[in-house]
Amino acid sequence: MTHESQAPLANPASTDVRIDVRGPRFGAAVTLVLALIALLLGATVAGVVLMAVLAVLFVPGAIVGPQATLQASLFKRFVLPRLAPTTETESFRAPRFAQQIGLAFSVLAVLFGALDSSVGFFIFAGFVTVASFLNAVFNFCLGCEIYLLAKRSTTRHA
Amino acid sequence: MLIRVLIIIGVLALASLGYLWMSRRDGAVRRVEVSGSVSSETLGATRGYRATFVQFSTPLCAKCPGTATLLKQVASEYKDVAHIEIDASERLDLARRFDVMRTPTILVLDTDGVVVARMSGAPSVSQARESLDAAPPLSQPYSI
Repeated sequence: MTHESQAPLANPASTDVRIDVRGPRFGAAVTLVLALIALLLGATVAGVVLMAVLAVLFVPGAIVGPQATLQASLFKRFVLPRLAPTTETESFRAPRFAQQIGLAFSVLAVLFGALDSSVGFFIFAGFVTVASFLNAVFNFCLGCEIYLLAKRSTTRHA
Repeated sequence: MLIRVLIIIGVLALASLGYLWMSRRDGAVRRVEVSGSVSSETLGATRGYRATFVQFSTPLCAKCPGTATLLKQVASEYKDVAHIEIDASERLDLARRFDVMRTPTILVLDTDGVVVARMSGAPSVSQARESLDAAPPLSQPYSI
């Protein structure tokens, strides 16, 4: 989530934005911390509010892409200067889809929490925690993989 | 509270194990026998005299640029080994011919353009070198 360089693609008709691969990973770490605390707090007012905060953080990511989130600006400002310059970039599309999933699941956690359903709260907050954990620790973006699988099965073959 | 912490740790441990198990075969070298050879013309680029890494990538594939760099580096360490990158979303004909299910997928061609090995998922340097064993260096060509 840094220099959004317009890298020319094989398909010039699509406007792709390339982001530093480490950016979404940092965002996932932030998500992980918040989601973990929310899980520990449970479906209490504090826990639900925390998941709501997380949902709000996902919104710009879901609309524009991970590079537009608050976490991304923190990454660009505080983390990136301490790292080696960007060498590897990825398309923003798959990570943006992952943000959309994160938003949907956080909102569901908030809804279940607000309706006093602990089970629902834990399930959806749990999903967010596991997904952000895999991303932060193993650099594995679950949402991205789902996006790619969906694209593969819906693309018309030549 | 303690129960909750233990459950969370348990779930995350399970998720970790699941991920590690799923990715254990990434980049593993598989010797294959595929009839027919692939020409440079079909590939749109010149094959290597000894061997060729044919890497199938897509624009959205995060690990593909890194794999391309790695394979080019390995190819340069050997004589007459080339690396060709194919955009699977443009060359659907090749992707279907070789059953490319995910990216990166790397086919190793021998000197005749026959597929002798393939790697699914990003390989490590040692896996890439190992895959070249399937296409051994040629003995002296043309001794008149």
